[in-house]
Amino acid sequence: MPPVLPDFSNSVKLKYVKLGYQYLVNHVLMLMLIPVMAAILIEVLRLGPEEINLLNSLHFDLVQILCSCFFIIFIATVYFMSKPRSIYLVDYACYKPPVTCRVPFATFMEHSRLNLSSNPRSVEFQMRILERSGLGEETCLPPAIHYIPPTQTMETARVEAEIVIFSAMDSLFKKTGLKPKDIDILIVNCSLFSPTPSLSAMVINKYKLRSNVKSFNLSGMGCSAGLISIDLARDLLQVHPNSNAVVVSTEIITPNYYKGNERAMLLSNCLFRMGGAAILLSNHRSERWRAKYHLVHVVRTHKGADDKAYRCVFEEEDKEGKVGISLSKDLMAIAGEALKSNITTIGPLVLPASEQLLFLLTLIGRKIFNPKWKPYIPDFKQAFEHFCIHAGGRAVIDELQKNLQLSAEHVEASRMTLHRFGNTSSSSLWYEMSYIEAKGRMKRGDRIWQIAFGSGFKCNSAVWKCNRTIKTPTDGPWADCIDRYPVHIPEIVKL
Amino acid sequence: MPTMVAAAMESPVWGQKLSSVVPAKVTGDNKDFELTNMDLAMKLHYIKGVYFFQSEAVQDLSVRDLKEPMFQWLEFSFTTSGRIRRSETGRPFIKCNDGGVRIVEANCDKTIDEWLATNDNHQSPDHLLAYNQVLGPDLGFSPLVFVQLTWFKCGGMSVGLSWAHILGDAFSASAFINMLGQIMAGQIPSKSFQVHNPKKSESPNPSIPGKPFSLKKVDPVGDCWITANNRKMETHCFHVTAKQLHHIESTTYQPSQIDNISCFEILSAIIWQSLSKIREDSGPRIVTICTNDYLKMRENEMPTNGMTLSTVEADFSVSKGEIVELAKLIAEKRMPENGLIEELLQGNEEGSDFIVYGANLTFVDLEEANLYGLKLKGKKPVFVNYTINGVGDEGTVLILPGPEKEGGKGKIVTMTLPEYQIEKLKNILENDWNIA
Repeated sequence: MPPVLPDFSNSVKLKYVKLGYQYLVNHVLMLMLIPVMAAILIEVLRLGPEEINLLNSLHFDLVQILCSCFFIIFIATVYFMSKPRSIYLVDYACYKPPVTCRVPFATFMEHSRLNLSSNPRSVEFQMRILERSGLGEETCLPPAIHYIPPTQTMETARVEAEIVIFSAMDSLFKKTGLKPKDIDILIVNCSLFSPTPSLSAMVINKYKLRSNVKSFNLSGMGCSAGLISIDLARDLLQVHPNSNAVVVSTEIITPNYYKGNERAMLLSNCLFRMGGAAILLSNHRSERWRAKYHLVHVVRTHKGADDKAYRCVFEEEDKEGKVGISLSKDLMAIAGEALKSNITTIGPLVLPASEQLLFLLTLIGRKIFNPKWKPYIPDFKQAFEHFCIHAGGRAVIDELQKNLQLSAEHVEASRMTLHRFGNTSSSSLWYEMSYIEAKGRMKRGDRIWQIAFGSGFKCNSAVWKCNRTIKTPTDGPWADCIDRYPVHIPEIVKL
Repeated sequence: MPTMVAAAMESPVWGQKLSSVVPAKVTGDNKDFELTNMDLAMKLHYIKGVYFFQSEAVQDLSVRDLKEPMFQWLEFSFTTSGRIRRSETGRPFIKCNDGGVRIVEANCDKTIDEWLATNDNHQSPDHLLAYNQVLGPDLGFSPLVFVQLTWFKCGGMSVGLSWAHILGDAFSASAFINMLGQIMAGQIPSKSFQVHNPKKSESPNPSIPGKPFSLKKVDPVGDCWITANNRKMETHCFHVTAKQLHHIESTTYQPSQIDNISCFEILSAIIWQSLSKIREDSGPRIVTICTNDYLKMRENEMPTNGMTLSTVEADFSVSKGEIVELAKLIAEKRMPENGLIEELLQGNEEGSDFIVYGANLTFVDLEEANLYGLKLKGKKPVFVNYTINGVGDEGTVLILPGPEKEGGKGKIVTMTLPEYQIEKLKNILENDWNIA
């Protein structure tokens, strides 16, 4: 039909214009260099070979030559010394819960009805949340939560911690060939379970780590603590040369299953599931060849100065004295604000020049000409090949997909991780990376953006670059089910 | 819930902890499993089976060792992990949503031998070892199967299976629990389970058109599937040793008369006659017989209600007749009613509720059931008892295979009858037949 064709040709034209613009701006330096090189070449050809006798024409003597050499060597040394060390992610291992921990929807709902028998409205609420949650039928809860009522004691919490952490660490040792004695730095993050001695002490005791290991235990820092741990590891690895750092990210569910009726607090019961990951980072130059990724940027944004953001994820007692984590209604709005803040910082670091220029121009335009212009949202798809958005819940992923204008394939890793494993808090980013690898999509040079949100309210990002094309792994949490994915997740699952 | 010391004084079984076990693999797509009319006829009844193991069989077996194989076990007969839902017409079906099986862990203050020796005049305490299951009032969230693991003071353990009859009959229940032992021993069934398609009424005798006598309509139960009794019922169980059986057989009839009469028929005849002697109306004249005629092998099959329900009418005075005549009547003149039951329930649009066991005095033949097939660490249970809950006022008698002893197996007779009948019946059986 005649009306359609012009539209089509218009959009094609627009696409080529856009591509042309991007190429031009991103390679402007190279493009400027070409005429310069051409000019020099023409000059050289014109002058002829006899006149090219630079050494003679410059009239240097020995002292000047030596000084110049030393100067060059000095500059080079200063440059190499002050360059930050490269941080390599050698490998990581995610915990795969056994089938004995599996919790289908029907079982979860039944247990809820029995545990909350005095308040059927809370049960109805949980059912509605579960139907729309985006979780699948294979997510897992620790053994203590399978009891009616759950057997929440210090002992059962420790049992869960041991199962998850030791399993992930054993997996990591096997994959990387790392010996426990070679661990120089150990960082464990688990937000809601913080016993004494700490979980990092538990790891040191189990694996008999060295007495001068630098251990840290981060608690209370929410779902974004995984990237905080990575940031801490990076800073430590700058100071300590030739070191290995192991980061363990997990969330222990057993002590935190909410037993009351408050709706804002019941939400976390529906979404949080068992999971954990152990990551090996190193600054050894020799790891350059076998490391999977290297760390490019970590950007941390904290909105805690704002009272509303501070209180939006708050652990407190309900009217009956039962402790739970209350999620406020403005969570999504605050998350959006935190994301904007984070993007503003990370944008200039990662976006190609073309996008930055457009953003700058629109910003100037809005300030000077017309504030009603739509703000230009930079196209982050130009900066990254893969996105790992913390699988905090379906709403979070939907919101980010909308804000960053991502396609379904970009958020596939996040959605499928939410479906298969639930919200495993700080370790979910690693399950997502594992998904991308399992699908064979991780190629050398790919850039990955990990975004996590957490209580506080924090938005943390990490940017990794893939060091070598990764073959589809035969082990790992997705090995037995990757062929079934991606699955279509219905809007509402009928229970 | 924390154990209460006071309760331990009253009940020897204490410290119950509930949890759930689900199939290891997702059943997928929330399959809907249709129930046959025979299944629906049995919906108000519950089977309880208790298996006693001495300590050698369960030494070093922790709760985890018992629970872990259960996940794989439930993959096979996935209907047992489902839940009852109603279709638009109100007809119940099973939604295979992996709700799972409920596990109860409990402790007991007695030893196994002390428990088995308790042959008291009160209600058989075995009911404490299998959870008292009722489907409803929250019908869609009631487990169809409970498994209770009770540890005894001597280190022995009992496995108590509570099974909703709507899923299948006692043969299916027994095959189901036996499979757990097989999986624990590493024998995984290789093929997936067949669903048995019930053949339409296979009665060799032309069935008389009309209503079945083995079914009785009860007041609507709504979503709470248990019927109330008008009389207080009691359960009593006793062992008839092989020697006693032999003695009975030799005294009641000549070898030439034996033909196709089994122990079940003899024992049923004895109990029928003894009961009619103590009842004022010299009844009952009609009894229901429940036998397993067509589906011998239940291994590797989905649970089903495949037993044949028949009625027997005595046209002579039961209390005065010969045992052998009565036994022959049961063996040869019983009228299968499965076809009639199917028809009645097919046309049951108003959704009436029925009971089968106890509608008339019912005798259930479980002689061929492989009750001792559940093996833990290669050891058989030392004793197995089955009872039926939700029995009507006329009562039910189950004839089970006995445990292996020198001299042979013998039979176990478990009777659920009105309280006032049990005492008198026991007297007659002891005096006349030297059993009970």
